[in-house]
Amino acid sequence: MSFWDRVKPYVMVSPSITVFLLFFIYPIMYLFFLSFTSWNLISLTKTFVGIENYVELLKSPQFHLVIKNTVLYTFLMVSISIGLALPTALWLNKRGFLHKFTQGVIFTPHIISLVSISLVWMWIMDPDYGLLNWVMGFVGIPPSKWLANPKTALISLVVVGVWKTLGYNTLVLIAGLQSIPKDIYEAAELDNASKWRNFYKITLPMLSPSLFFLLVISTIASFKVFDTINIMTQGGPIDTTNMIVFFIYQNAFDFFKIGYASAAGVLLVIFLGLMTFIHFKLLANRVHYR
Amino acid sequence: MEARERVQQSLRIRKKEGRIENSKNLEILKKGAKGLEISGLIILILIFGFPFLWMISTSLKSFSEIMIFPPKWIPDKLMFENYIRAWNSGPFLRYFFNSVLISISILILQFATMIPTAYAFARYEFKLKKLLFAITLLALMIPEQITFLPVYLQMSSWNLLRTYAPLILPFAASGFGVFLLRQTFMQVPDEIIEAARLDNASEWKIMWKIMMPMARPVLITFALFSFISQWNSYFWPLVMTNTQSLRTLPIGVAMLKDAEALTRWDTVMAGNMILIAPMLVIYFFAQKQIIKAFVYSGIK
Amino acid sequence: MANIYLQDITKKYENITVIKNLNLEIKDSSFTVLVGPSGCGKSTTLRMIAGLEKVNNGEIFIDGEEITHVNPGKRGVAMVFQNYALYPTMTVKENIEFGLKNNKISKEERESVIQEICDIVGLTEYLDRKPSNLSGGQRQRVALARAMVKRPKVFLMDEPLSNLDAKLRNQMRTELIQLHKKLGTTFVYVTHDQVEAMSMGDAIVVMDKGVIQHMANPVDLYNDPANIFTAQFIGAPPMNIIPGKKFFEESTYLGFRPEKVKLDSTSADNCLAMKGKILTREILGSETIYSIRTEVGDIKVKTIDSVFPEDIEIQLHIDYKHIYLFDVAGNRQRNLEKVKL
Repeated sequence: MSFWDRVKPYVMVSPSITVFLLFFIYPIMYLFFLSFTSWNLISLTKTFVGIENYVELLKSPQFHLVIKNTVLYTFLMVSISIGLALPTALWLNKRGFLHKFTQGVIFTPHIISLVSISLVWMWIMDPDYGLLNWVMGFVGIPPSKWLANPKTALISLVVVGVWKTLGYNTLVLIAGLQSIPKDIYEAAELDNASKWRNFYKITLPMLSPSLFFLLVISTIASFKVFDTINIMTQGGPIDTTNMIVFFIYQNAFDFFKIGYASAAGVLLVIFLGLMTFIHFKLLANRVHYR
Repeated sequence: MEARERVQQSLRIRKKEGRIENSKNLEILKKGAKGLEISGLIILILIFGFPFLWMISTSLKSFSEIMIFPPKWIPDKLMFENYIRAWNSGPFLRYFFNSVLISISILILQFATMIPTAYAFARYEFKLKKLLFAITLLALMIPEQITFLPVYLQMSSWNLLRTYAPLILPFAASGFGVFLLRQTFMQVPDEIIEAARLDNASEWKIMWKIMMPMARPVLITFALFSFISQWNSYFWPLVMTNTQSLRTLPIGVAMLKDAEALTRWDTVMAGNMILIAPMLVIYFFAQKQIIKAFVYSGIK
Repeated sequence: MANIYLQDITKKYENITVIKNLNLEIKDSSFTVLVGPSGCGKSTTLRMIAGLEKVNNGEIFIDGEEITHVNPGKRGVAMVFQNYALYPTMTVKENIEFGLKNNKISKEERESVIQEICDIVGLTEYLDRKPSNLSGGQRQRVALARAMVKRPKVFLMDEPLSNLDAKLRNQMRTELIQLHKKLGTTFVYVTHDQVEAMSMGDAIVVMDKGVIQHMANPVDLYNDPANIFTAQFIGAPPMNIIPGKKFFEESTYLGFRPEKVKLDSTSADNCLAMKGKILTREILGSETIYSIRTEVGDIKVKTIDSVFPEDIEIQLHIDYKHIYLFDVAGNRQRNLEKVKL
């Protein structure tokens, strides 16, 4: 092998790798470093404070609330968006124009900016002239300030989140359904299996990789929620929709507590890393279906 | 083959028998179920489609028509002025230009970096391959919600915050793109590359005349994915821009909400339409491709 | 047109030697078939001639020229692959033209060669189609045409017919034989199918475990096999091999072909005789295959008589001149045959 042959692969990968190192790998390490310092962005020096930021975080009732909100939001998002997507997928997985058209329509929110989605839902949830209160009037529910009420703010964000992701989740499951070979169902029919048994013994296990994939990416995506909060609630009312990324953002750019925000960032890294690890681990061991 | 045919035949017979037994009741049931199903589909379409129609309707209403309860579906007079007002309420031409410039630059840079990288990962053996590929996967998994703070501080210390650099450079290479394209290159059968070598084709020719045309569908998929994601991006430009001249359309539209003390939903929705119209047009023409881009590439 | 000479070729994958000290001469304008079970090294040998596999040791000559380390594209060889390996994004014409362009052939010359070759293989009306719109047989023809336009010194074919259905395979077999006659170029053809090898090749190289077992023309290979492996690999059903100790001496094996056994005949002169019971009878139409249990083992018999029912006792006779002797290692004992039989 000539010198050029040996060097060529490195030359080819170096532009990408440079970007990855500079804007993904190094920042993570920098984040770790910052989490052990105290810095307000303006002063020239960062003071080393050890694990003080972490101690302060873990003692802070606000941070506890933020974690609770994030976990609750994630749990609701994952269970509702997948729980609704499964029957929707089973239902829409048919030929025919109307079914295909419906698939296309419910997917649309996925390619629209969360800015637009947040704004249109704010308008729909408007306390005075919003469509939602008008619709709720028919069911006998009195008008409400959905986003300003501590009881409904978080669930309102979940509604918006589910509205955005249901179509995507459904189409992922439909893709999963379509990859199940037809002759398995034919064999089951010869074995006189009931529809319910078919679903339990064939469809669900064969769909488990898709469901698991959704579970993991929904968890990660919900944990990263920011856009809707920033536009619709600003974390309020009284911090009931303040979640981890918004918390980091606020502490960094509104309160200039860089070290404190970094410590929260590190905890987020650890959690997301754990999720990703579980993802791969389970993917390798558990989801055996063939 | 034969066994399969027999199975299908017996299935057909059984189905037929079942049909004769209770064909009448079944027909009525079927009709009812069909009606129910169609109504269900329409409700689903309304839930997911109506907010868009509501957006359009609101964007064409007068300010007084917005403040009517119960809501009014269709405005008396179509107020196209709302669009002009929205457009003029900030440097929207600038926002639009920035959005286009950033999305397209990122796309071009990503293509330029990912093609050679994916090719090297797929076709060559080299010492650090495993390590470098692990870095690529790591970059694919690390979200911007984690890197924004350190990258912001980095950019700040390099005095790049008032430039396009923080908006473009971190996305100049895509871990996802490299991963996807490497997968595609690896799926090209060895035989085809060997045939090309026997046809006296150079490595360069194999890459451009054989591999790239075969990767075309994936490249289109990735282009759609990347462009749509960048166009819609809100969080990153929000963090990285302090000056109006660098802001993108989503930021500009989000700011419309707070432009006046009382939110002018007619103006906001008009701005909203400006933001989503390009996506809806692309979606209209390339729906299949886009769904494939987002759904199937995620699964692999 | 060229002869090929492989000298002391050794090929290793990682640390496993798949071919050791192989010497092989492929004659000019021959139709040489490399045949053997999977993993015997036949494809590797072909790919080394093509230059697609590096050689660990030894030298390869084509037309007297040493080409061991020459690039595949510069060896003057063309190859037809098992899965055709057509470029899926190019039309038929572009597929065929690709190699010519790479070799900087002028446009006029390209056009005329493509025209000529496509007339021969019958592709003229499909030139603008993509491979995905062609049938298996048509793809096969494109692969052939792509090889032919380069006017190579040697054609290499790696199981080119194995993806076709039985009928088309027979047809393409005939066409390939005719093509070889017409072109007069050296063909090297790899297959695992002994019928294909026998019907197509004028020289057959039987390989096993990276070693050439026997190289001969089809007639000699069948009538005069060098060892048990060749004897059993060529011919269907395979040659019967029985331990020699009951009839001759220990540490020998006897072999005879199923079609040389006479059933229920009375002539016993110069014959090996034994008794057996018919286990199964497979009637194939023009001939019948019996499986017969004897005291020396189960024996296959191929005959035109389909009259004998299953489960009867029957007398078997094999003329001495049709019996082959092998030693324990499986090698033919021609001298011993002359003495003993």
